[in-house]
Amino acid sequence: MKYAFYPGCVARGAAPELFASTIEVARRLGIELDYEPMRGASCTGAGVLQEKNQRLGDTLNARTFAMAEKAGLPLMVICSTCQGVMSQASKRFKDDPAYLAEINKDLAEEGLQYKGTVEPKHLLWAIIEDIGIDKLKAQVVKPLKGMKLAPFYGCYIVRPSAALGFAEHPEREDSLEQVIKAVGAEVVDFRGKTLCCGFPILTINQNNALKMVANHTLEAKGNGADAMVTPCPLCHLNLDGYQPAAAGLRKQPIDMPIIHLPQMLGMAMGIEPKALKLNKHLVSTKKLLSDLVLAP
Amino acid sequence: MTMDVTLNVKRYNPDAAKPASYNQEYRIDLEDGSSLLDGLIKVREEMDGTLALRCSCRSAICGSCAMRVNGRAVLACNTKMKDVMPKDGSPVKVEPAGNMGVVKDLIVNFDVFWGKIKAVKPWLQPEGPVPQGEYLAPNEAMLHLAGVMGCIMCGACVSDCTVLEVDKNFLGPAALAKAYRFVGDPRDAHEKDRLKDLTKYGGMWDCTRCMQCVQVCPKGVDPMGRIMKMRDKALAAGYNNTYGARHALAFTDLVRHGGHLDELRLPIKTFGIFNVKEMLKLAPIGMRSQMVGKVPPLFPKPIPGIQNVRRIFEKVEAKR
Amino acid sequence: MFDHDVLVIGAGLAGMRAALAASQAGVNVAVVTKVFPVRSHSNAAQGGINAALTDRGDKWEDHAYDTVKGSDYLGDQDAIEIMCKEAGSEIINMEHMGTIFNRDAEGKLGVRAFGGQRQARTFFVADFTGQALLYVLHEQVMKSGVRVYEEWFVLSLIVEGGECCGAVVMEMKTGEVHTIRAKAVIMATGGIGRVFEPSTNALICTGDGMALAYRAGAPLMDMEMIQYHPTTLKSNGALMSEAARGEGAYLINKDGDRFMKRYAPNMMELASRDVVSRSEQTEINEGRGVNGCVLLDCRHLGEKLIKEKLGQIRQLGIDFANADMIKEPVPVRPGMHYVMGGIRTNYDGLTSIPGLYAAGETACVSVHGGNRLGANSLLDTLVFGKRSGQHAAAGVKSKQHAAGVTDAYSEAEKKKIQAILDRPADGGELFGKVRQELGETMNKYLAVFRDQQGMETAQRKVKELRMRYEKVIVHDKGRTFNTNLIFTLELGFMFDCAETVIVGALERKESRGAHTRTDMPKRDDANWLKHVVQFRTPEGPRIEDQPVKITQWQPQVRSY
Repeated sequence: MKYAFYPGCVARGAAPELFASTIEVARRLGIELDYEPMRGASCTGAGVLQEKNQRLGDTLNARTFAMAEKAGLPLMVICSTCQGVMSQASKRFKDDPAYLAEINKDLAEEGLQYKGTVEPKHLLWAIIEDIGIDKLKAQVVKPLKGMKLAPFYGCYIVRPSAALGFAEHPEREDSLEQVIKAVGAEVVDFRGKTLCCGFPILTINQNNALKMVANHTLEAKGNGADAMVTPCPLCHLNLDGYQPAAAGLRKQPIDMPIIHLPQMLGMAMGIEPKALKLNKHLVSTKKLLSDLVLAP
Repeated sequence: MTMDVTLNVKRYNPDAAKPASYNQEYRIDLEDGSSLLDGLIKVREEMDGTLALRCSCRSAICGSCAMRVNGRAVLACNTKMKDVMPKDGSPVKVEPAGNMGVVKDLIVNFDVFWGKIKAVKPWLQPEGPVPQGEYLAPNEAMLHLAGVMGCIMCGACVSDCTVLEVDKNFLGPAALAKAYRFVGDPRDAHEKDRLKDLTKYGGMWDCTRCMQCVQVCPKGVDPMGRIMKMRDKALAAGYNNTYGARHALAFTDLVRHGGHLDELRLPIKTFGIFNVKEMLKLAPIGMRSQMVGKVPPLFPKPIPGIQNVRRIFEKVEAKR
Repeated sequence: MFDHDVLVIGAGLAGMRAALAASQAGVNVAVVTKVFPVRSHSNAAQGGINAALTDRGDKWEDHAYDTVKGSDYLGDQDAIEIMCKEAGSEIINMEHMGTIFNRDAEGKLGVRAFGGQRQARTFFVADFTGQALLYVLHEQVMKSGVRVYEEWFVLSLIVEGGECCGAVVMEMKTGEVHTIRAKAVIMATGGIGRVFEPSTNALICTGDGMALAYRAGAPLMDMEMIQYHPTTLKSNGALMSEAARGEGAYLINKDGDRFMKRYAPNMMELASRDVVSRSEQTEINEGRGVNGCVLLDCRHLGEKLIKEKLGQIRQLGIDFANADMIKEPVPVRPGMHYVMGGIRTNYDGLTSIPGLYAAGETACVSVHGGNRLGANSLLDTLVFGKRSGQHAAAGVKSKQHAAGVTDAYSEAEKKKIQAILDRPADGGELFGKVRQELGETMNKYLAVFRDQQGMETAQRKVKELRMRYEKVIVHDKGRTFNTNLIFTLELGFMFDCAETVIVGALERKESRGAHTRTDMPKRDDANWLKHVVQFRTPEGPRIEDQPVKITQWQPQVRSY
């Protein structure tokens, strides 16, 4: 299956391990990621641009959609935030064709036009809907048996459900749990799994952001998780990068590794941890990996 | 047709010798189309009179019966029992609304809620001579406000707000939506004062954009969308010296410049390079990132065709 | 003990308007309400509020005539004149305070058509006009600094030396019983909907104010006049606003026939509510209904109009009747909605007890007579709420608190409550089934069509139910939010109201407005152009007559 690939800013910036592990895992799942048509695609706006000027964000996303449409390929993303922001824009275009027509006027100069056919799809959803859980299972050579993983979705891939097609795709609601089970790990349920990680207010109200990090990681830990898995690199940045600070705030160690979705898949597929850049985390994954090696 | 339902209700009796919350199961027979509220009323009217909850209109307009069902805030009256019965046959989990503090069973304390509503000066403040007849106002503006006016103060958004969970000082989605109702009213003469107040700590910039309020609002009020509109208005009004405002402006600027997010420059631009306190706070994560060899490109190249992105910025921004 | 000049009981539109008016007059005002103000049932009013704005060519006299005719000539015309004259300034006043109101192309207040009126003069905010008005008054009351005792429940009124001078009240959060001393009390507690099952009314509409005033010695008037709204949902009795028909919706029977052409050829679906409800019930009774309902057909109004102006009731249809009015007709039937009768007052809101006022649905001024026009109830609450507040405030300025009011009043109420809590558990039942049977009895025998035999059956049954009620037990013995106790007390109020509805209906030997007797189908102006007034005695209601005030409109044959 071939996709126009939109990695998003963070996978090419502060979370290179997400990009690397995605490439590795896609190859094994028979997913062809075509980055060429998307080379000139911009940031989605991440909801920040939208708060300043929604139409601006929508125009940029229509531009991105038009690029995928022109290539005649479905669009894949690997970031919950990209997914959500694009889905919301997509819904506005569908609900209001006149609005899209207006936006298309601003794309015309570049020779682009968006007809409204693109459905941005996260790797997580693509695995379930396009690739199939069975095909994933077939690639698992090193089941993550005994590993307890807490899913952490990131807001934008679960809310608002009306924009995310949950009605037509009810399987999206527990997609992360399904994938965790498919690679042989145990799902650790916890209340925080669909709550905010705190990233968006990191530079605005850091104290609140850190409290969120502490709450979620400690809750997952309290429920017995060995690590948390997330399809959102922004959640990763916060939960991983600011975990030491959150631990300081709570005056207790946390040490909860935060694994990107494709890193988890890659581990189960027997891909070298180094190739998955599992050594590029601020919260060490060493213990997790040694447990995996030792597991019977 | 009737159905057999088991409710697992989180209870709390403050009058008990040692008050502590506990769960109680009720098994009831209900007609097929019944609401969750029908079930709870049946319990309290026919089985267990001690079960306390607020409810009144049964048609999603009075705002009394917000509570959590299976972990999510809903109005009990417009929630069909069938829709919340777990497929595995386990009981329907009913809990009081979150973030407000329980008084008894499903009744929570609304004192802070009303206090925050009052804090946004929720009354029209026109200026100048009062006209003989009505104030003239465009219907579109009124219809737009009707969307916010639909708020029934049920507290579902407050219950599930992720910021309130960590910071009681946050005004919260309901009060901020109420504030927007006046900020957006063409008859109100104090838009700027209001916006200025709302840019303070606890106001519009403390929202994380997590969309919980959008998701759980039973009336489609879209509190978060209103908060975003206020941010836009606050920036336009020149209140751009908070971290929130600077973050939005810096982000926009970076995307305009390079077409993508530049994680390295975003906090620096937000805080200001000479902001020693905040820069020092960034130091540990910077050093840790260095140690694991994880540093975003120092001078990221703009995306190909950046001139098109910049042109879109110019064109769309000019339309405002 | 708390002291206030004016104590308002109830925080719906009438109560808040009264509180605001009294507070603006410079006296110390407090409001007691058993729910948070915005939870009051005024918020459920959907369609709009009537006013003849003279600057756009409408005449208050036309509005008054429509109201008189709508009342089937039982409304007091002096009060109706006042209401219609003051309507315009009240609407403008509400707009100035912040009500958004839908607008016309020039940005002025827009109107929609409503039942029983020859001119479109209903001002509205989409289909949640009541909520929009209530919230604005709530905002103004917050701003005014008027003390609001939220979630406090009134147990009794205090009458000393023939004057009302306070109330005994329970703070629901703590269970504490307090005496509130006041120089004037304004009752604004709304209707008695829950006496009927089902009803469009909220669960809080239990007739508290009427029963409290009645027990304190004030008479109730025209209690037999119960309005059945033509468009309510079968499942839970929820209201589908008259605004739907105001915007042009049809009523059709199972054959798709717009049957109103046979009952009200001129006004069709927009005839008076009593007329439309009778027509629907006749269709249903004669086998032309659909599962006990007729159909409200909005499809031809189009998606845009429905979403803009009827969005809330569309959602109600989807939630509670599984029908999206954009795509399909919604099954509706007549449902108990409003009581035209209530505590007798003059047009300043003053009851028969000095110091005691009443306004809104709990009062009977009477401006609605035998049948209320849609969108006149909100107007009633504002005009007479304001007048009560002003009159009460003027009256208390030179008045001292009654010296005899002490905490002994609250001690007496505490004892009564303790006696209920101490009832032996054996053989007693919870209040729920008694309430249910009371409501079903009333709804069966005092509905759109009534007759002697049915009403007598109801009277007997209600008497039996009251005996069961006297033994009802309360499971909850705690103090904090003892809702079990509150509901039990409310049920007591409901029995007082039910009894007077039945007695009034048995007394009125004719058909007029909402009171339609199949055994006496004609209106009888010679004998019954008068109000039925009931005073409480230990043996049951004592009845007096009161003539209808006629100013300029003599009774005529009523057709639409």
